[in-house]
Amino acid sequence: MQPSTDLLQGTLDLLILQTLAGGPMHGWGVAQRIQQASKEVLQIGQGSLYPALHRLEYKGWIRADWGASENNRRAKFYSLTMTGRKQLQAELKTWDRLSDAIGLVLGRIPEAAG
Amino acid sequence: MMNEWLTRLRFLFTRRKTDELEEELRFHVEQSVERNIAAGMTAEEARRQAMIDFGGVERARQQTYEQRPGWWLGTVEQDLRYALRGFRRNAVFTVPVIATLAVGIGATTAVFSVVDRILFRSLPYAHGDRLVTVGMVHSLEKQEFMMGGFFFDWRDHQQPFEAMAIQSTGPHACDLVENNPAQLDCLDFDAGYLPMLGISPVLGRNFLPEEVLPNGPRVVIISYGLWQDHYNRDAGILNRQIDVDGSPARVVGVLPRDFQFPTLQPCDVIFPMVLNKADQKTANGGYGNPMRTFARLKPGVSIEQARAEMEPLFDHTRDSFVPAEMRKDFHLSIRSLRDRETQDAQSMAWILLGSVFAVLLIACANVASLMMVRGEGRERELAVRSALGASRGRLIRQTLTEAALLSLAGAAAGIALAEGLLRVFVDLAPTGVPFLDRAGLDLRIALFTILLSLLCGALSGLLPALQTPRVVALAARAAKFRTRTVLRRSLVVGQIAVSMVLLSGAALLLKSFRNVEEQSLGIETGGVFTAQIALPGFRYDTTRKQMQFYLDAEAAIRRLPGIRAIAFSDSVPPGGWQSGMRWTDLTIDGKPYQGEGTGDTLTTRKVTPDYFSALNIPIVRGHGFTEEDTHSAEREVIISRLLAARIFPGEDPIGRRVSGRTVVGVAENVKNGGLVQPDAPEIYFLRGKSESDWDGKKPVLVISSVLSPKAVAPWVRSQIAAIDPTVPVQMETLDQTVSKLADRPRFETALLGFFAFCGLLMAVIGLYGVISFAVAQRTQEIGVRMALGATRGNILRLIAGEGVRLIVLGGMLGLGAALAAAQLLKSLLYNVGPHDLVTYAAVALLLALAALAATFIPARAAMKVEPVVALRYE
Repeated sequence: MQPSTDLLQGTLDLLILQTLAGGPMHGWGVAQRIQQASKEVLQIGQGSLYPALHRLEYKGWIRADWGASENNRRAKFYSLTMTGRKQLQAELKTWDRLSDAIGLVLGRIPEAAG
Repeated sequence: MMNEWLTRLRFLFTRRKTDELEEELRFHVEQSVERNIAAGMTAEEARRQAMIDFGGVERARQQTYEQRPGWWLGTVEQDLRYALRGFRRNAVFTVPVIATLAVGIGATTAVFSVVDRILFRSLPYAHGDRLVTVGMVHSLEKQEFMMGGFFFDWRDHQQPFEAMAIQSTGPHACDLVENNPAQLDCLDFDAGYLPMLGISPVLGRNFLPEEVLPNGPRVVIISYGLWQDHYNRDAGILNRQIDVDGSPARVVGVLPRDFQFPTLQPCDVIFPMVLNKADQKTANGGYGNPMRTFARLKPGVSIEQARAEMEPLFDHTRDSFVPAEMRKDFHLSIRSLRDRETQDAQSMAWILLGSVFAVLLIACANVASLMMVRGEGRERELAVRSALGASRGRLIRQTLTEAALLSLAGAAAGIALAEGLLRVFVDLAPTGVPFLDRAGLDLRIALFTILLSLLCGALSGLLPALQTPRVVALAARAAKFRTRTVLRRSLVVGQIAVSMVLLSGAALLLKSFRNVEEQSLGIETGGVFTAQIALPGFRYDTTRKQMQFYLDAEAAIRRLPGIRAIAFSDSVPPGGWQSGMRWTDLTIDGKPYQGEGTGDTLTTRKVTPDYFSALNIPIVRGHGFTEEDTHSAEREVIISRLLAARIFPGEDPIGRRVSGRTVVGVAENVKNGGLVQPDAPEIYFLRGKSESDWDGKKPVLVISSVLSPKAVAPWVRSQIAAIDPTVPVQMETLDQTVSKLADRPRFETALLGFFAFCGLLMAVIGLYGVISFAVAQRTQEIGVRMALGATRGNILRLIAGEGVRLIVLGGMLGLGAALAAAQLLKSLLYNVGPHDLVTYAAVALLLALAALAATFIPARAAMKVEPVVALRYE
């Protein structure tokens, strides 16, 4: 299977933000969630995941706290900050506009989000 | 946005432990392993699969690390540490590099601190770049002046200036009469003077408008120096009455400490310049009083525009004030204040700056060359770093970091050197260099130095950096040798060329200076000294009193032992101020002189009879002035041989009438235009015993003694003091006067010579380095050649030939550049053409010998290579 590095960088950020909108999660969890949600189509390589997580953290959109994982191990949990939430809304809007536009160009009716 | 930057900033300063990332990544892998085990794999297989899924751990780690804001700062720190370690290990490389840079940067800094004020630094006035001097000039007065008779006309009708201000023509001696008397310099300026310059008094105020009106209150502004030295900076000086020249004046202001007059003449006491329009129409025969005028251009108006706009006013004035036959000689002049203040020092400043930059260039080339050698020595190391993943950019940065570090170290040493050099410059410099007393290493100069060193670092760092190793470097040793040497060789050729330019410039100046020193002045300077007596004008207020004083002094000094001759003159050759006369003012046998035009002027001198014997000027025809002549009503003149040949070509001048006087003698020519200017024809008037002979410029006493001037001077002083103990006397031997005139060429020659020497030394070291390195690189090749039958002579030719090619190429290029550059020196040269063949031949020979020596030392080493040893050489 192709690694997800093909994803546009901005898209990966959007996916991470959207995933974290459901609550704090550690890096491995984020990767799993995206993989499941995309029905195993999107596999996030660690080579992209951690740079992206850190980049978002340095931007102040997400924050990291050490906590205990589900099997009681020390893990780093990421959660959305206030700015991150706003950013997510903005990026979602951009995404909708972009995918609508691409859909129009390709002559397809955009599928409902599932 | 603000938030984002704050977050970034926070991460910049809080260092995150790399362990945390390790732990995070480890956790990720553990999770994968667990999932795989849960999916039914064995523990070992699960871990293997997890690692495959994860991909390159190191790459992920590095990429994550690089997300951190300012992460590259860490690598700079690494580069620095690495560079420093390298320098410490390799002192043989580091010390010469820093020394070279220190010489280059130090000399440049010292020169820059001298020329900065002359060429670049803004004048210490508000809008200094818009200040100009305005007026007319003619062949006897080259500094702009105006007369009260037309000043108001110009001021009221001018367009280009937003402010105009006037001062008296120059400071005049005045006396402070108090219990602590002092002789001072006094000046007048008007109420608009300080505001136009943007200067406010440090204490008190400027003149009020009513104080520059006729019969206004008598007030003065004093200089900071006078306030400090004479009044101990007493704030109570304001409104105090001080007695200047016998009448009281009230102090209303004190000038700032660093204030400099636009004429650069220091003054202690300033009176309001009182000008009355009506009076000026009649004063001084209708011309009005002379004055200097300064003005501030309106924003956006250029000097050329101002000149064009003032031209009609000037034409009108010239046509109404100047007699028709002299009009050609009068010109309007508007110059920037900088040009007036620096006069002819600008060309000298550019030449010094240019030559010191040439030295710096050679120094940087040397450092670049040395760094390249070092780079070649580290080839393998760099190749290994490159193979381990250091990017090309990273390697270039490493080289640049090293160069910058070296340059800054060089700059630090250079500043110390500059401080010393500057002291030497100031000691050596002639009096004519403006602002020299203010030259010093300040913040501006330090910034310049740092900039210079970074520039030098970039220059000497980039060249070697351009040749970072390719992968082949790991395996190859000799193949890539070629391209690299081309660069180094061109550097050496450039160095030789630049030092050729410097050397020939220095040699030309040296030859010119020798001509100046060895020329015959036409006068005897040994045992002769001059005494300037500054009679206080308010006590010696008539010419009769002054004449009496001078004659008394002369008689008293004549009685001293050892005096050979004593005379009065208004000036003394060969230089300094000398009075002059236009050709148009000359009449011959009652008719105006018809010969050559007004371009150059005659020198005139009013002398007592003993002048010629005091200076040992031979009278070649007729006779000199006699003591009896001084009492007679018959007016007589003596003319110089040059003047006789000009106005009486092929005729006997004795007995002819020149300007209404009878020519009684022809004197041998003397140098009278300074040391390097051509001689002017000269006319001597007799200074007799009638009052009118003592008008005008205060006379100077010329004393020739058979004893040493050192012994006689105190006696002269006491004789004058016996007549009036309060008058100051200034004495100087004629040798000192002449030597001072030679200060300027001496300064230029010494500096350029020093730079040329530095340049040559560095260029030769550079050449030596290149050839030695080539020999070292080719040891094996030489061994092979010898094993195949090449003689030692062949080898010597092979190696030396390379050096000779570089020398010839550099020398030719340099010669071309030197011939072009010599045109710039032309104004500084005396009796030497800018293309003096002998000089260039000598310089080429010197350069060739020095360079050949630098080539033959390593070439001889190559010749002695033992083939067997060389073949084993690795």
